[in-house]
Amino acid sequence: MDRSLQNTHAKLVARDIQRLTQSPTESNSFSLLGGACVSRVETVGTIVSRDLTPKFLKFGVDDGTGCVTCVLWLNQLTSSYFSRWDPDTILLLASAARKQAAAIRIGAVARVRGRVGSYRGVMQITATVVVVERDPNAEILHWLECLRLGQSCYRIQS
Amino acid sequence: MANTRIEPGVPITLQELYPSSQFYKEAVSLRVTGMLSGYSVETAIGVIEDGSKSLKINTQNLRDVSFRVGSIYQFIGELHIEPNNEAFLQARTGRNVDGIDMNLYRKTIELLRKFLKEEGNSNMAE
Repeated sequence: MDRSLQNTHAKLVARDIQRLTQSPTESNSFSLLGGACVSRVETVGTIVSRDLTPKFLKFGVDDGTGCVTCVLWLNQLTSSYFSRWDPDTILLLASAARKQAAAIRIGAVARVRGRVGSYRGVMQITATVVVVERDPNAEILHWLECLRLGQSCYRIQS
Repeated sequence: MANTRIEPGVPITLQELYPSSQFYKEAVSLRVTGMLSGYSVETAIGVIEDGSKSLKINTQNLRDVSFRVGSIYQFIGELHIEPNNEAFLQARTGRNVDGIDMNLYRKTIELLRKFLKEEGNSNMAE
């Protein structure tokens, strides 16, 4: 299995994110049509749903090929996961997450980077960075990059 | 945290929206782009144009979008066919895309469909 994409954010359209399958050998890795193995992805699309809870913001990104659910965690100040982290770092992370959450609104186009995973049988992205795009051509350019990488890189069998 | 399935708005050009088209169906989710040629504040209905084709857009569900005639907008929503066989889009999202390269957009839609078709079945692929 090709592991060369393990440490990069693979640029994928939503349809391909939804078709990722769990790697039989690596717990946090997903295979694309039996080829490249990825754990992090990047996608660009229009935000079509937004569900804010005290712990996280769940939002849907529609890139025209599918809708992918993304989760941005907002519990940095209360989660025990961060208890051993440097307090200044936690404050920075919490502040950044809340700023990103405020910018996520329905109708905006966002670039989402994060870890891909399966929740109740559906692929979703646990977002680490969400940037709202202002360039009206951002989605078009992302589609073209996905096409180029899909044909030249991701489908290559190991 | 239940997953509610939302159908993607399939990107099309207004030229592809005619009665015998595969996209000209009740409740199909579409993404359309065009220049706003008219807008009624009373009814929240606008009309977008691309070349000689136009489409009515019902924007009553949209918030925080200001409409300016002559600007280019992109909408995602569901197509509805009226009894007189005229279609309108019930928009879920809308945004101003002034500065979009429409020629690149049209060409990229074609390439994307070809890619999706080659890589497996897709409701976007022809």
